[in-house]
Amino acid sequence: MRNKIPPFLLNTPSSLHPERGGGKVSMSYIDKGIESFAGVLKEGYAQWKSASGKGFFYELDTRIKVVFWLFFILVVSLKKEILPEAGIFFTVFVILLVSRVNLVTFYRKVFLLGFIFGFLISLPSSLNVITHGKVIFPVIILPKAYDFWIYHIPGVIGFTAEGVSVVSMLTLRVINSLSLSFLILYTTPFPEIIKALKVLKVPDAFLIIISLTYKYIFIFARIVADMHLAKKSRLAGAVKSAEARDWIAGRIAFILKKTQLKCDDVFKAMIGRGFSGEIKLYQYQKITGRDWIFGFFLFALGSLILWV
Amino acid sequence: MEIIRAEGVHYNYYNRFPALIDVSLEINKGEKFAIIGSNGSGKSTLLQILTGLLFPSQGRVFFHNNELSEKSLKEKDFLRFFREKVGFVFQDSDIQLFCPTVMDELLFGPLQLGLKKDEALARASEIMQMLNIENLKDRPSYMLSGGEKKRVAIGSVLTMNPEVLLLDEPTSGLDPKTQVFLLELILALNEAGKIIVIATHDLSLVDELQSRVAVLSEEHRIEKIGSAEEILKDEDLLLKVNLIHEHVHYHGQTAHTHIHSHYLFHKH
Repeated sequence: MRNKIPPFLLNTPSSLHPERGGGKVSMSYIDKGIESFAGVLKEGYAQWKSASGKGFFYELDTRIKVVFWLFFILVVSLKKEILPEAGIFFTVFVILLVSRVNLVTFYRKVFLLGFIFGFLISLPSSLNVITHGKVIFPVIILPKAYDFWIYHIPGVIGFTAEGVSVVSMLTLRVINSLSLSFLILYTTPFPEIIKALKVLKVPDAFLIIISLTYKYIFIFARIVADMHLAKKSRLAGAVKSAEARDWIAGRIAFILKKTQLKCDDVFKAMIGRGFSGEIKLYQYQKITGRDWIFGFFLFALGSLILWV
Repeated sequence: MEIIRAEGVHYNYYNRFPALIDVSLEINKGEKFAIIGSNGSGKSTLLQILTGLLFPSQGRVFFHNNELSEKSLKEKDFLRFFREKVGFVFQDSDIQLFCPTVMDELLFGPLQLGLKKDEALARASEIMQMLNIENLKDRPSYMLSGGEKKRVAIGSVLTMNPEVLLLDEPTSGLDPKTQVFLLELILALNEAGKIIVIATHDLSLVDELQSRVAVLSEEHRIEKIGSAEEILKDEDLLLKVNLIHEHVHYHGQTAHTHIHSHYLFHKH
Protein backbone atom coordinates (compact mmCIF):
# COMPACT_ATOMS: atom_id res chain seq x y z
CA MET A 1 0.00 0.00 0.00
CA ARG A 2 2.81 2.37 0.98
CA ASN A 3 4.32 2.19 -2.52
CA LYS A 4 0.98 2.98 -4.10
CA ILE A 5 0.55 6.40 -2.43
CA PRO A 6 0.54 8.98 -5.26
CA PRO A 7 3.36 11.56 -5.02
CA PHE A 8 0.96 14.50 -4.75
CA LEU A 9 -0.38 13.10 -1.47
CA LEU A 10 3.13 13.29 -0.02
CA ASN A 11 3.29 17.04 -0.58
CA THR A 12 2.01 19.45 2.01
CA PRO A 13 -0.93 21.48 0.66
CA SER A 14 0.04 24.81 -0.86
CA SER A 15 -1.01 27.36 1.74
CA LEU A 16 1.03 26.90 4.91
CA HIS A 17 -0.42 29.83 6.78
CA PRO A 18 -4.03 30.85 6.62
CA GLU A 19 -4.85 33.96 4.72
CA ARG A 20 -7.63 35.96 6.31
CA GLY A 21 -10.23 38.13 4.62
CA GLY A 22 -10.64 37.99 0.85
CA GLY A 23 -14.29 38.95 1.09
CA LYS A 24 -17.28 37.08 2.39
CA VAL A 25 -18.84 33.93 1.02
CA SER A 26 -22.49 34.70 0.49
CA MET A 27 -24.99 32.01 1.39
CA SER A 28 -27.24 31.19 -1.52
CA TYR A 29 -31.00 31.09 -1.09
CA ILE A 30 -30.83 27.36 -1.79
CA ASP A 31 -28.47 26.85 1.18
CA LYS A 32 -30.77 28.90 3.36
CA GLY A 33 -33.73 26.85 2.13
CA ILE A 34 -32.00 23.59 2.99
CA GLU A 35 -31.10 24.87 6.45
CA SER A 36 -34.72 25.89 7.02
CA PHE A 37 -35.84 22.48 5.82
CA ALA A 38 -33.59 20.92 8.43
CA GLY A 39 -35.55 23.07 10.92
CA VAL A 40 -38.48 20.69 10.31
CA LEU A 41 -36.74 18.26 12.64
CA LYS A 42 -36.55 20.85 15.39
CA GLU A 43 -40.19 21.87 14.91
CA GLY A 44 -41.27 18.22 15.02
CA TYR A 45 -39.33 17.67 18.19
CA ALA A 46 -40.75 20.86 19.74
CA GLN A 47 -44.33 19.71 18.93
CA TRP A 48 -43.74 16.29 20.44
CA LYS A 49 -42.07 17.79 23.53
CA SER A 50 -44.74 20.44 24.16
CA ALA A 51 -47.54 17.93 23.48
CA SER A 52 -46.21 15.41 25.98
CA GLY A 53 -46.68 17.59 29.07
CA LYS A 54 -48.82 17.05 32.15
CA GLY A 55 -52.04 18.90 32.80
CA PHE A 56 -55.83 18.73 32.39
CA PHE A 57 -56.16 18.82 28.60
CA TYR A 58 -52.96 16.80 28.02
CA GLU A 59 -54.41 13.88 29.91
CA LEU A 60 -57.84 13.95 28.28
CA ASP A 61 -58.53 11.11 25.83
CA THR A 62 -57.50 12.17 22.32
CA ARG A 63 -60.82 11.03 20.80
CA ILE A 64 -62.71 13.36 23.16
CA LYS A 65 -60.33 16.16 22.18
CA VAL A 66 -60.84 15.58 18.47
CA VAL A 67 -64.65 15.57 18.83
CA PHE A 68 -64.45 18.70 21.04
CA TRP A 69 -62.32 20.40 18.39
CA LEU A 70 -64.69 19.55 15.53
CA PHE A 71 -67.78 20.56 17.51
CA PHE A 72 -66.31 23.90 18.61
CA ILE A 73 -65.00 24.69 15.10
CA LEU A 74 -68.57 24.11 13.91
CA VAL A 75 -69.89 26.47 16.59
CA VAL A 76 -67.32 29.12 15.59
CA SER A 77 -68.49 28.89 11.97
CA LEU A 78 -72.20 28.99 12.83
CA LYS A 79 -72.26 31.85 15.33
CA LYS A 80 -72.00 35.38 14.03
CA GLU A 81 -72.32 37.34 17.29
CA ILE A 82 -69.62 38.72 19.53
CA LEU A 83 -70.87 37.10 22.77
CA PRO A 84 -70.62 33.42 21.73
CA GLU A 85 -67.27 34.05 20.00
CA ALA A 86 -65.99 35.72 23.18
CA GLY A 87 -67.34 32.73 25.13
CA ILE A 88 -65.29 30.32 22.97
CA PHE A 89 -62.20 32.50 23.36
CA PHE A 90 -62.65 32.49 27.13
CA THR A 91 -63.25 28.69 27.19
CA VAL A 92 -59.97 28.03 25.34
CA PHE A 93 -58.17 30.49 27.62
CA VAL A 94 -59.42 28.70 30.76
CA ILE A 95 -58.46 25.27 29.33
CA LEU A 96 -54.97 26.59 28.57
CA LEU A 97 -54.71 28.02 32.06
CA VAL A 98 -55.75 24.85 33.89
CA SER A 99 -53.58 22.73 31.57
CA ARG A 100 -50.56 24.94 32.36
CA VAL A 101 -49.78 25.61 28.69
CA ASN A 102 -47.30 28.46 28.14
CA LEU A 103 -49.75 31.28 27.33
CA VAL A 104 -47.16 33.68 25.90
CA THR A 105 -45.84 31.21 23.30
CA PHE A 106 -49.36 30.04 22.50
CA TYR A 107 -51.00 33.43 21.99
CA ARG A 108 -47.97 34.93 20.23
CA LYS A 109 -48.47 32.39 17.44
CA VAL A 110 -52.29 32.63 17.45
CA PHE A 111 -52.40 36.43 17.40
CA LEU A 112 -49.73 36.73 14.71
CA LEU A 113 -51.52 34.32 12.37
CA GLY A 114 -54.92 35.81 13.33
CA PHE A 115 -53.63 39.29 12.53
CA ILE A 116 -52.31 38.23 9.10
CA PHE A 117 -55.06 35.84 7.97
CA GLY A 118 -57.98 37.48 9.79
CA PHE A 119 -57.40 41.19 10.20
CA LEU A 120 -55.03 42.17 7.35
CA ILE A 121 -56.77 40.13 4.67
CA SER A 122 -60.27 41.35 5.53
CA LEU A 123 -59.37 44.96 6.38
CA PRO A 124 -59.96 46.39 2.85
CA SER A 125 -63.51 45.04 2.96
CA SER A 126 -64.36 47.48 5.76
CA LEU A 127 -63.87 50.45 3.41
CA ASN A 128 -67.12 52.09 2.30
CA VAL A 129 -66.23 51.23 -1.31
CA ILE A 130 -67.06 47.62 -0.44
CA THR A 131 -69.19 47.72 2.74
CA HIS A 132 -71.68 50.56 2.72
CA GLY A 133 -72.46 52.38 5.95
CA LYS A 134 -71.47 55.29 8.14
CA VAL A 135 -67.82 56.31 7.63
CA ILE A 136 -66.18 56.50 11.04
CA PHE A 137 -62.57 56.84 9.88
CA PRO A 138 -62.02 58.71 6.59
CA VAL A 139 -58.85 57.79 4.68
CA ILE A 140 -59.06 59.62 1.30
CA ILE A 141 -61.15 62.66 0.45
CA LEU A 142 -61.79 63.13 -3.29
CA PRO A 143 -63.06 66.39 -4.84
CA LYS A 144 -66.28 64.63 -5.86
CA ALA A 145 -67.89 61.22 -6.15
CA TYR A 146 -67.29 59.17 -9.33
CA ASP A 147 -69.49 56.66 -11.10
CA PHE A 148 -68.38 54.32 -13.85
CA TRP A 149 -70.09 51.22 -15.10
CA ILE A 150 -71.59 49.48 -12.05
CA TYR A 151 -69.13 51.06 -9.60
CA HIS A 152 -69.67 54.06 -7.37
CA ILE A 153 -66.61 55.77 -5.80
CA PRO A 154 -67.80 58.07 -2.99
CA GLY A 155 -66.22 61.47 -2.32
CA VAL A 156 -64.99 60.33 1.08
CA ILE A 157 -63.36 56.90 1.20
CA GLY A 158 -62.98 55.46 4.68
CA PHE A 159 -63.72 52.66 7.11
CA THR A 160 -67.38 52.19 7.97
CA ALA A 161 -68.80 51.15 11.35
CA GLU A 162 -70.44 48.12 9.72
CA GLY A 163 -67.20 47.19 7.97
CA VAL A 164 -65.15 47.44 11.16
CA SER A 165 -67.71 45.27 12.94
CA VAL A 166 -67.50 42.61 10.18
CA VAL A 167 -63.68 42.68 10.23
CA SER A 168 -63.56 42.39 14.05
CA MET A 169 -65.99 39.49 13.90
CA LEU A 170 -64.01 37.71 11.20
CA THR A 171 -60.72 38.28 13.04
CA LEU A 172 -62.21 36.92 16.25
CA ARG A 173 -63.50 33.85 14.41
CA VAL A 174 -60.09 33.25 12.80
CA ILE A 175 -58.40 33.65 16.20
CA ASN A 176 -60.89 31.24 17.79
CA SER A 177 -60.41 28.63 15.05
CA LEU A 178 -56.65 28.97 15.36
CA SER A 179 -56.65 28.74 19.15
CA LEU A 180 -58.84 25.63 19.05
CA SER A 181 -56.52 23.97 16.54
CA PHE A 182 -53.35 25.02 18.35
CA LEU A 183 -54.87 23.84 21.64
CA ILE A 184 -55.05 20.32 20.18
CA LEU A 185 -51.58 20.55 18.59
CA TYR A 186 -50.00 21.89 21.79
CA THR A 187 -51.49 19.21 24.01
CA THR A 188 -51.53 16.07 21.83
CA PRO A 189 -48.64 14.31 20.07
CA PHE A 190 -49.29 14.31 16.31
CA PRO A 191 -49.39 10.48 15.92
CA GLU A 192 -52.13 10.36 18.61
CA ILE A 193 -54.20 12.90 16.68
CA ILE A 194 -53.94 10.76 13.56
CA LYS A 195 -55.03 7.65 15.44
CA ALA A 196 -57.92 9.52 17.05
CA LEU A 197 -59.26 10.32 13.58
CA LYS A 198 -60.49 6.72 13.67
CA VAL A 199 -63.52 7.95 15.66
CA LEU A 200 -64.44 10.06 12.64
CA LYS A 201 -64.48 6.84 10.61
CA VAL A 202 -61.41 7.82 8.59
CA PRO A 203 -60.32 4.52 6.93
CA ASP A 204 -57.36 2.68 8.54
CA ALA A 205 -55.44 2.54 5.27
CA PHE A 206 -55.59 6.33 5.03
CA LEU A 207 -54.45 6.71 8.64
CA ILE A 208 -51.49 4.37 8.07
CA ILE A 209 -50.47 6.37 5.02
CA ILE A 210 -50.59 9.65 7.00
CA SER A 211 -48.61 8.11 9.90
CA LEU A 212 -45.92 6.73 7.61
CA THR A 213 -45.72 9.98 5.65
CA TYR A 214 -45.34 11.98 8.87
CA LYS A 215 -42.55 9.65 10.03
CA TYR A 216 -40.67 9.70 6.72
CA ILE A 217 -40.79 13.48 6.47
CA PHE A 218 -38.44 13.49 9.47
CA ILE A 219 -36.25 10.69 8.12
CA PHE A 220 -35.80 12.50 4.82
CA ALA A 221 -35.36 15.88 6.48
CA ARG A 222 -32.42 14.33 8.33
CA ILE A 223 -31.01 12.87 5.08
CA VAL A 224 -31.28 16.29 3.39
CA ALA A 225 -29.59 18.00 6.34
CA ASP A 226 -26.76 15.42 6.31
CA MET A 227 -26.30 15.74 2.54
CA HIS A 228 -26.05 19.48 2.98
CA LEU A 229 -23.28 19.02 5.58
CA ALA A 230 -21.47 16.53 3.32
CA LYS A 231 -21.46 19.03 0.49
CA LYS A 232 -20.41 21.86 2.78
CA SER A 233 -17.41 19.80 3.92
CA ARG A 234 -16.06 19.71 0.34
CA LEU A 235 -16.79 23.29 -0.68
CA ALA A 236 -13.88 25.68 -0.70
CA GLY A 237 -15.78 28.74 -1.85
CA ALA A 238 -19.13 30.15 -2.89
CA VAL A 239 -21.27 28.12 -5.27
CA LYS A 240 -22.99 29.67 -8.26
CA SER A 241 -26.78 29.50 -8.18
CA ALA A 242 -26.83 27.39 -11.38
CA GLU A 243 -24.46 24.82 -9.81
CA ALA A 244 -26.54 24.81 -6.65
CA ARG A 245 -29.68 24.13 -8.71
CA ASP A 246 -27.89 21.25 -10.47
CA TRP A 247 -26.94 19.83 -7.11
CA ILE A 248 -30.50 20.12 -5.85
CA ALA A 249 -31.81 18.36 -8.97
CA GLY A 250 -29.32 15.51 -8.49
CA ARG A 251 -30.20 15.19 -4.84
CA ILE A 252 -33.93 15.14 -5.57
CA ALA A 253 -33.29 12.20 -7.89
CA PHE A 254 -31.27 10.54 -5.13
CA ILE A 255 -34.02 11.08 -2.55
CA LEU A 256 -36.56 9.67 -5.01
CA LYS A 257 -34.43 6.57 -5.49
CA LYS A 258 -33.89 6.26 -1.74
CA THR A 259 -37.63 6.67 -1.11
CA GLN A 260 -38.37 3.91 -3.57
CA LEU A 261 -35.86 1.58 -1.89
CA LYS A 262 -37.15 2.54 1.56
CA CYS A 263 -40.70 1.87 0.41
CA ASP A 264 -39.70 -1.63 -0.75
CA ASP A 265 -37.89 -2.27 2.54
CA VAL A 266 -40.85 -1.08 4.64
CA PHE A 267 -43.19 -3.31 2.68
CA LYS A 268 -40.86 -6.31 3.16
CA ALA A 269 -40.65 -5.50 6.89
CA MET A 270 -44.46 -5.39 7.08
CA ILE A 271 -44.75 -8.74 5.26
CA GLY A 272 -42.07 -10.16 7.57
CA ARG A 273 -44.18 -9.20 10.58
CA GLY A 274 -47.33 -10.86 9.37
CA PHE A 275 -49.00 -8.22 7.22
CA SER A 276 -51.46 -9.88 4.87
CA GLY A 277 -53.27 -6.97 3.29
CA GLU A 278 -55.63 -6.22 6.16
CA ILE A 279 -54.70 -3.20 8.26
CA LYS A 280 -55.27 -3.51 11.99
CA LEU A 281 -54.50 -0.45 14.04
CA TYR A 282 -53.64 -0.59 17.70
CA GLN A 283 -56.88 -0.14 19.61
CA TYR A 284 -57.20 2.59 22.16
CA GLN A 285 -57.82 1.90 25.79
CA LYS A 286 -61.39 2.39 26.94
CA ILE A 287 -62.40 5.97 27.59
CA THR A 288 -62.40 6.47 31.36
CA GLY A 289 -65.28 7.88 33.41
CA ARG A 290 -63.27 11.06 34.00
CA ASP A 291 -62.87 11.54 30.22
CA TRP A 292 -66.63 11.03 29.68
CA ILE A 293 -67.45 13.61 32.39
CA PHE A 294 -65.13 16.24 30.92
CA GLY A 295 -66.30 15.36 27.42
CA PHE A 296 -69.92 15.80 28.43
CA PHE A 297 -69.13 19.07 30.20
CA LEU A 298 -67.36 20.45 27.10
CA PHE A 299 -70.22 19.28 24.86
CA ALA A 300 -72.76 20.98 27.15
CA LEU A 301 -70.70 24.17 27.12
CA GLY A 302 -70.51 24.11 23.31
CA SER A 303 -74.28 23.54 23.08
CA LEU A 304 -74.87 26.45 25.47
CA ILE A 305 -72.71 28.73 23.32
CA LEU A 306 -74.54 27.53 20.22
CA TRP A 307 -77.90 28.25 21.89
CA VAL A 308 -76.94 31.77 23.15
CA MET B 1 3.07 21.18 16.85
CA GLU B 2 -0.59 21.58 17.69
CA ILE B 3 -2.92 21.70 14.65
CA ILE B 4 -6.43 21.35 16.12
CA ARG B 5 -7.51 22.46 19.59
CA ALA B 6 -10.95 22.24 21.22
CA GLU B 7 -11.51 24.21 24.42
CA GLY B 8 -14.48 23.46 26.70
CA VAL B 9 -16.79 22.52 23.83
CA HIS B 10 -20.48 22.03 24.61
CA TYR B 11 -23.10 21.08 22.02
CA ASN B 12 -26.85 20.48 22.39
CA TYR B 13 -29.25 19.12 19.78
CA TYR B 14 -32.49 21.13 19.50
CA ASN B 15 -31.18 23.25 22.41
CA ARG B 16 -32.13 20.41 24.74
CA PHE B 17 -30.33 17.10 24.24
CA PRO B 18 -26.69 17.41 25.29
CA ALA B 19 -24.33 15.77 22.78
CA LEU B 20 -21.04 17.10 24.16
CA ILE B 21 -20.21 18.54 27.56
CA ASP B 22 -16.99 20.42 28.28
CA VAL B 23 -14.82 18.62 25.73
CA SER B 24 -11.21 19.77 25.44
CA LEU B 25 -8.49 18.13 23.38
CA GLU B 26 -5.68 18.92 21.00
CA ILE B 27 -4.39 17.05 17.95
CA ASN B 28 -0.80 17.43 16.85
CA LYS B 29 1.05 17.37 13.55
CA GLY B 30 1.39 13.94 11.97
CA GLU B 31 -0.64 12.30 14.71
CA LYS B 32 -3.11 9.40 14.67
CA PHE B 33 -5.99 10.20 16.99
CA ALA B 34 -9.04 8.09 17.81
CA ILE B 35 -12.23 9.24 19.51
CA ILE B 36 -13.94 6.24 21.05
CA GLY B 37 -17.22 5.88 22.88
CA SER B 38 -20.45 3.93 22.84
CA ASN B 39 -23.39 4.73 20.54
CA GLY B 40 -24.79 8.20 21.19
CA SER B 41 -21.79 9.40 23.19
CA GLY B 42 -21.18 12.29 20.75
CA LYS B 43 -18.28 11.02 18.59
CA SER B 44 -19.79 12.03 15.25
CA THR B 45 -20.91 15.39 16.64
CA LEU B 46 -17.37 16.06 17.86
CA LEU B 47 -15.93 15.20 14.42
CA GLN B 48 -18.44 17.52 12.74
CA ILE B 49 -17.45 20.31 15.13
CA LEU B 50 -13.74 19.73 14.42
CA THR B 51 -14.51 20.02 10.68
CA GLY B 52 -16.45 23.27 11.08
CA LEU B 53 -19.76 21.76 9.99
CA LEU B 54 -21.40 22.33 13.37
CA PHE B 55 -20.49 25.06 15.81
CA PRO B 56 -20.31 24.62 19.58
CA SER B 57 -22.98 26.22 21.75
CA GLN B 58 -20.19 26.98 24.24
CA GLY B 59 -16.41 26.72 23.98
CA ARG B 60 -14.08 27.24 21.04
CA VAL B 61 -12.27 25.24 18.37
CA PHE B 62 -9.01 26.33 16.74
CA PHE B 63 -7.28 25.18 13.56
CA HIS B 64 -3.69 26.39 13.17
CA ASN B 65 -4.54 28.83 15.99
CA ASN B 66 -7.43 30.33 13.99
CA GLU B 67 -10.82 30.06 15.62
CA LEU B 68 -13.40 28.07 13.66
CA SER B 69 -16.67 29.95 13.73
CA GLU B 70 -19.54 30.69 11.39
CA LYS B 71 -17.98 34.10 10.85
CA SER B 72 -14.43 32.92 10.10
CA LEU B 73 -15.66 30.20 7.73
CA LYS B 74 -17.52 32.82 5.71
CA GLU B 75 -14.20 34.52 4.87
CA LYS B 76 -13.30 33.32 1.36
CA ASP B 77 -9.56 32.85 1.97
CA PHE B 78 -9.91 31.11 5.30
CA LEU B 79 -12.68 28.84 4.02
CA ARG B 80 -10.48 27.76 1.11
CA PHE B 81 -7.48 27.25 3.42
CA PHE B 82 -9.52 25.21 5.88
CA ARG B 83 -11.38 23.02 3.39
CA GLU B 84 -8.17 22.34 1.47
CA LYS B 85 -6.46 21.15 4.65
CA VAL B 86 -9.26 19.23 6.31
CA GLY B 87 -11.08 16.31 4.69
CA PHE B 88 -14.01 14.55 6.29
CA VAL B 89 -15.30 11.09 5.38
CA PHE B 90 -18.87 10.57 6.59
CA GLN B 91 -20.07 7.29 8.07
CA ASP B 92 -22.83 7.03 5.45
CA SER B 93 -21.10 7.15 2.06
CA ASP B 94 -24.47 7.56 0.33
CA ILE B 95 -24.94 11.09 1.58
CA GLN B 96 -21.39 12.04 0.68
CA LEU B 97 -21.49 10.98 -2.96
CA PHE B 98 -23.55 13.51 -4.87
CA CYS B 99 -21.98 13.74 -8.34
CA PRO B 100 -23.29 11.88 -11.41
CA THR B 101 -20.33 9.45 -11.72
CA VAL B 102 -17.32 8.26 -9.72
CA MET B 103 -14.99 10.35 -11.92
CA ASP B 104 -17.07 13.52 -11.27
CA GLU B 105 -16.96 12.70 -7.60
CA LEU B 106 -13.14 12.56 -7.59
CA LEU B 107 -12.82 15.76 -9.63
CA PHE B 108 -15.28 17.82 -7.55
CA GLY B 109 -12.83 18.70 -4.75
CA PRO B 110 -9.75 19.64 -6.83
CA LEU B 111 -11.87 21.75 -9.20
CA GLN B 112 -13.39 23.50 -6.17
CA LEU B 113 -9.87 24.35 -5.05
CA GLY B 114 -9.21 25.93 -8.43
CA LEU B 115 -6.78 23.30 -9.77
CA LYS B 116 -6.36 23.09 -13.53
CA LYS B 117 -8.39 20.36 -15.21
CA ASP B 118 -5.26 18.39 -16.24
CA GLU B 119 -3.90 18.37 -12.72
CA ALA B 120 -7.29 17.43 -11.29
CA LEU B 121 -7.58 14.57 -13.81
CA ALA B 122 -4.08 13.36 -12.95
CA ARG B 123 -4.94 13.35 -9.24
CA ALA B 124 -8.20 11.49 -9.85
CA SER B 125 -6.44 8.89 -11.96
CA GLU B 126 -3.68 8.30 -9.37
CA ILE B 127 -6.24 8.00 -6.56
CA MET B 128 -8.31 5.52 -8.59
CA GLN B 129 -5.19 3.45 -9.11
CA MET B 130 -4.35 3.51 -5.41
CA LEU B 131 -7.88 2.54 -4.37
CA ASN B 132 -8.38 -0.05 -7.14
CA ILE B 133 -11.49 1.67 -8.46
CA GLU B 134 -10.38 2.43 -12.03
CA ASN B 135 -13.06 0.11 -13.38
CA LEU B 136 -15.75 2.15 -11.61
CA LYS B 137 -14.91 5.57 -13.00
CA ASP B 138 -18.01 5.97 -15.21
CA ARG B 139 -20.45 4.35 -12.80
CA PRO B 140 -23.03 6.35 -10.85
CA SER B 141 -22.60 6.05 -7.09
CA TYR B 142 -25.92 4.26 -6.52
CA MET B 143 -24.61 1.34 -8.61
CA LEU B 144 -21.73 0.64 -6.21
CA SER B 145 -21.45 -1.83 -3.34
CA GLY B 146 -20.92 -0.62 0.26
CA GLY B 147 -17.15 -1.18 0.11
CA GLU B 148 -16.84 0.52 -3.29
CA LYS B 149 -18.83 3.51 -2.05
CA LYS B 150 -16.50 3.84 0.94
CA ARG B 151 -13.44 3.76 -1.35
CA VAL B 152 -14.94 6.40 -3.61
CA ALA B 153 -15.92 8.56 -0.61
CA ILE B 154 -12.34 8.41 0.71
CA GLY B 155 -10.97 9.02 -2.79
CA SER B 156 -13.20 12.07 -3.23
CA VAL B 157 -11.59 13.62 -0.15
CA LEU B 158 -8.03 12.48 -0.89
CA THR B 159 -7.98 14.19 -4.30
CA MET B 160 -8.07 17.44 -2.30
CA ASN B 161 -4.83 16.33 -0.58
CA PRO B 162 -5.87 17.33 2.92
CA GLU B 163 -3.42 17.69 5.79
CA VAL B 164 -6.00 16.26 8.23
CA LEU B 165 -8.26 13.35 7.39
CA LEU B 166 -11.22 12.74 9.69
CA LEU B 167 -13.11 9.48 9.31
CA ASP B 168 -16.40 8.70 11.02
CA GLU B 169 -16.74 4.96 11.81
CA PRO B 170 -14.57 4.08 8.81
CA THR B 171 -14.85 0.30 9.07
CA SER B 172 -18.52 -0.07 9.98
CA GLY B 173 -20.51 -2.26 7.60
CA LEU B 174 -17.47 -3.29 5.53
CA ASP B 175 -16.35 -6.85 4.82
CA PRO B 176 -13.08 -8.03 6.46
CA LYS B 177 -11.04 -7.65 3.25
CA THR B 178 -12.14 -4.05 2.74
CA GLN B 179 -11.53 -3.35 6.43
CA VAL B 180 -7.92 -4.54 6.13
CA PHE B 181 -7.48 -2.52 2.93
CA LEU B 182 -8.79 0.57 4.70
CA LEU B 183 -6.59 0.06 7.73
CA GLU B 184 -3.48 -0.30 5.56
CA LEU B 185 -4.50 2.81 3.64
CA ILE B 186 -4.96 4.83 6.84
CA LEU B 187 -1.56 3.74 8.15
CA ALA B 188 0.13 4.53 4.84
CA LEU B 189 -1.49 7.97 4.68
CA ASN B 190 -0.34 8.68 8.21
CA GLU B 191 3.20 7.63 7.29
CA ALA B 192 2.93 10.03 4.36
CA GLY B 193 2.39 12.82 6.91
CA LYS B 194 -1.37 13.12 7.13
CA ILE B 195 -3.05 13.61 10.48
CA ILE B 196 -5.65 10.87 10.93
CA VAL B 197 -8.62 11.37 13.24
CA ILE B 198 -11.16 8.58 13.52
CA ALA B 199 -14.36 8.15 15.52
CA THR B 200 -15.12 4.54 16.30
CA HIS B 201 -16.26 2.02 18.87
CA ASP B 202 -14.17 -0.69 17.22
CA LEU B 203 -11.41 -1.40 19.76
CA SER B 204 -9.52 -3.68 17.35
CA LEU B 205 -9.13 -0.73 14.97
CA VAL B 206 -7.72 1.39 17.81
CA ASP B 207 -5.29 -1.40 18.67
CA GLU B 208 -4.16 -1.74 15.05
CA LEU B 209 -3.70 2.01 14.64
CA GLN B 210 -1.89 2.44 17.97
CA SER B 211 -3.13 6.01 18.02
CA ARG B 212 -3.65 8.46 20.85
CA VAL B 213 -7.17 7.94 22.15
CA ALA B 214 -9.87 10.16 23.67
CA VAL B 215 -12.62 8.24 25.45
CA LEU B 216 -16.11 9.79 25.45
CA SER B 217 -18.46 8.67 28.19
CA GLU B 218 -22.20 8.10 27.87
CA GLU B 219 -22.56 11.40 29.74
CA HIS B 220 -20.93 13.05 26.69
CA ARG B 221 -17.74 14.07 28.51
CA ILE B 222 -14.11 13.19 27.83
CA GLU B 223 -13.38 10.47 30.33
CA LYS B 224 -9.68 10.04 29.55
CA ILE B 225 -7.08 10.80 26.88
CA GLY B 226 -4.07 8.50 26.55
CA SER B 227 -2.13 6.13 24.36
CA ALA B 228 -3.96 3.18 22.76
CA GLU B 229 -2.05 0.76 24.98
CA GLU B 230 -2.92 2.67 28.15
CA ILE B 231 -6.62 2.97 27.26
CA LEU B 232 -7.07 -0.59 26.03
CA LYS B 233 -5.54 -1.98 29.22
CA ASP B 234 -7.92 0.02 31.39
CA GLU B 235 -10.76 -2.51 31.74
CA ASP B 236 -12.57 -0.46 34.41
CA LEU B 237 -12.69 2.56 32.14
CA LEU B 238 -13.91 0.56 29.13
CA LEU B 239 -16.57 -1.10 31.27
CA LYS B 240 -17.66 2.27 32.62
CA VAL B 241 -18.10 3.78 29.15
CA ASN B 242 -19.85 0.64 27.88
CA LEU B 243 -17.26 -0.37 25.31
CA ILE B 244 -16.86 -3.80 26.91
CA HIS B 245 -19.39 -5.77 28.94
CA GLU B 246 -19.76 -8.71 31.27
CA HIS B 247 -20.64 -11.89 29.45
CA VAL B 248 -22.14 -15.09 30.82
CA HIS B 249 -21.68 -18.45 29.15
CA TYR B 250 -21.44 -22.11 30.08
CA HIS B 251 -18.49 -24.45 30.41
CA GLY B 252 -20.34 -27.77 30.55
CA GLN B 253 -22.86 -27.30 33.35
CA THR B 254 -21.04 -24.37 35.00
CA ALA B 255 -22.09 -20.78 34.35
CA HIS B 256 -19.09 -18.49 33.88
CA THR B 257 -18.91 -14.70 33.79
CA HIS B 258 -16.10 -12.65 32.26
CA ILE B 259 -15.45 -9.31 30.63
CA HIS B 260 -16.05 -9.35 26.91
CA SER B 261 -15.39 -6.84 24.18
CA HIS B 262 -15.68 -9.07 21.12
CA TYR B 263 -11.99 -8.35 20.68
CA LEU B 264 -9.43 -7.89 23.39
CA PHE B 265 -10.69 -9.10 26.72
CA HIS B 266 -11.73 -12.69 26.69
CA LYS B 267 -9.79 -14.00 29.65
CA HIS B 268 -10.74 -17.15 31.53
